[in-house]
Amino acid sequence: VGPVAISALVALAFGVMLVRRRSLATLLVAAQALLLGVAALSLAGDRPTEFAVAAVILLIRAVALPALLAFTRRRTPEPYLVVPATTVLVRLLVSAVVVLVAVTSIPPLGLGDRPAEHGAVALLCLGIAIVVMRRPALLQVLGILVAENGIYLLAISAPGGLPSVDRAWRPLRPGARRDCRHRLHPEDPRRGGLGGHRSPEGAP
Amino acid sequence: VTDAATPLIAAVLAVPLGTALLVVLMPAPAAADRLNLATSALTAALALALAVVALVAAPDVAARGSWYVLDTAGGAFLALVAVVGLASAAMSPFYLRHTGRSWFTARRSHAWYYAAFNLFWAALLALPLTDNLALAWLLIEATTAASALLVAFSGKRSALEAGWKYVVLTTLGLAVALLGIVVLFVAAGPDGSGFGRLDWQILAQHASALPEEATLVAFVLILVGLASKIGWAPVHNWLPDAHSEAPPPVSAMLSAALLPTVLLIAWRTKLALEPALGTTTVQELFIGFGLASLAVAIPFLWRSLPWKRLLAYSSLEHMGVLALGIGFGTPLAIAGVIVHVAGHGLAKALGFYTAIPLLRQDPSTAERAPRGVVRTSASTATAMSVSLLTLSGLPPSPLFVSEVMILLGGMDAGLIAVSSIAAVLLALGFLGLAHALLEGLLGEGRRASRPTRSAGAIAVLAGIAALALLGMTVAAYALPGSEIVEALMRSGA
Repeated sequence: VGPVAISALVALAFGVMLVRRRSLATLLVAAQALLLGVAALSLAGDRPTEFAVAAVILLIRAVALPALLAFTRRRTPEPYLVVPATTVLVRLLVSAVVVLVAVTSIPPLGLGDRPAEHGAVALLCLGIAIVVMRRPALLQVLGILVAENGIYLLAISAPGGLPSVDRAWRPLRPGARRDCRHRLHPEDPRRGGLGGHRSPEGAP
Repeated sequence: VTDAATPLIAAVLAVPLGTALLVVLMPAPAAADRLNLATSALTAALALALAVVALVAAPDVAARGSWYVLDTAGGAFLALVAVVGLASAAMSPFYLRHTGRSWFTARRSHAWYYAAFNLFWAALLALPLTDNLALAWLLIEATTAASALLVAFSGKRSALEAGWKYVVLTTLGLAVALLGIVVLFVAAGPDGSGFGRLDWQILAQHASALPEEATLVAFVLILVGLASKIGWAPVHNWLPDAHSEAPPPVSAMLSAALLPTVLLIAWRTKLALEPALGTTTVQELFIGFGLASLAVAIPFLWRSLPWKRLLAYSSLEHMGVLALGIGFGTPLAIAGVIVHVAGHGLAKALGFYTAIPLLRQDPSTAERAPRGVVRTSASTATAMSVSLLTLSGLPPSPLFVSEVMILLGGMDAGLIAVSSIAAVLLALGFLGLAHALLEGLLGEGRRASRPTRSAGAIAVLAGIAALALLGMTVAAYALPGSEIVEALMRSGA
């Protein structure tokens, strides 16, 4: 994921922290999910399974969830203006400070992609800050989604990505665990290896 | 054993899951009560059989399958979840009889309560068995989903608020833990085995090859995230509200089964990653959470609190004690931890069940501390006494033995200052709870009220619990140096 896209993701999260209207905040989170979904689709490339998983996640997070939240918002109109717990300026300052401190203090996470690591940490912190500083329940849900988008960003930025659903639990199927140990202990038959010093493929 | 264990484990999970589906179809509340009680007895029997297999096999791992591990620690926690679940299932009809309308009509409320209850229980039963960090995370999320519905079950404004707070705070905490899991997954390096590289055993075997900095970040994130679910200070804010507002049998499940079971996941993660991080770093984190939890809980134990809220802060205190025990990590402290988990579970569950007759006899105790319960109901007073005296750590309570073991274990580890501070805090906690009990039993209160059916049930339960707790005290003396402790020292790995 490029630095411009990461900056856009963080800017959208700042928007959720600052805007008053729940409908606008929902749109911002939907845009964030759309951006991440498109990035995941482009990374999946010509691998059909990964592409399908990324597409389903995109549909759920950028379309279905915002639609559900919009429906909830319509069913729960504000009978009177909810006075924010803090002013826009205070929210902006506090969230900026939280993000700056978190981003500068976090050590490398091992992705080898510092902008993505910083973006993920910033989104997680902004999500937590939104939950803490915004009073309406729907905005708190949006805060959780922003935090989850941070993890989503980290996951798609991981080298090779995280395994998709079909691959993720392959070791849970009988036989697969042995295969996993066999890769980790190729020399030890007691741990599922083939013995000797052969690689799983039998190469020297 | 593995061949025999696999279908048994499947049955342990299938029975509550099946009950959750079936019970919704029950036409009448009484039928739902009967079905739930029967299937709960079956679930508990199966889970206890598995636990016995695991404990008998110590110090070896009894069985290891495609997604599960049946080891000593898992067996001990599985037994606890089974017993507390069965007792909660047995006490639930007494609570539901007088709830009337909640989220649902009075006629349907039993069925939906039991459906959520069984889903929650199934997730709790699966947690001690899981052999994989990512799968454990999923199951912990599942416990949140099911138990949040139960916390808000009464439909009262305060219950909805508590349920919401619980969902939001624990979900955020678990998001932090998930970030840690992703970081750990990346640190473990690509090997094409999917999330299998996050199996406890695989992690432990390769911990020394993990990059130290990234693993430390991952561990801190995972531990902080799990702390929000365990209820360790300072991320415990949901705990007092959720425990106070949930139906008493559910509060018992939350405090006596959920918190320790998530603690087991933190413990397994510690054991798996300790070789990569070194003992000191890991130890400091656990001890920090332990002391913070004790320090935050003790002042509340001295305040005049409603019964369930008092028990909630007592949970915070005891989770702190367990964090210290795991942090010290010596064989004596670990023996203390397992006795503490069992003793706390039984005593705390009994305390929450006592709230059923207590609130029935004097509904104002939902808002203020109970007073003069001896004059209101002797059986309720007896159950309160057994629960609170055990929780305060008064001899011959097993918690006295376990706390002594943990403190001595801390001294064994050379952490004399930490052990001394913990001893002072525990003494203050004891005085706070003893004061609350005396006020609750003997203070100025209402006169005797008509005995309720739940008071009769709680008297029977108090008798059984008292005997079991005494048995635990005796067994605790035999535990140090045994093969069970040897197995616990490397649980899961």
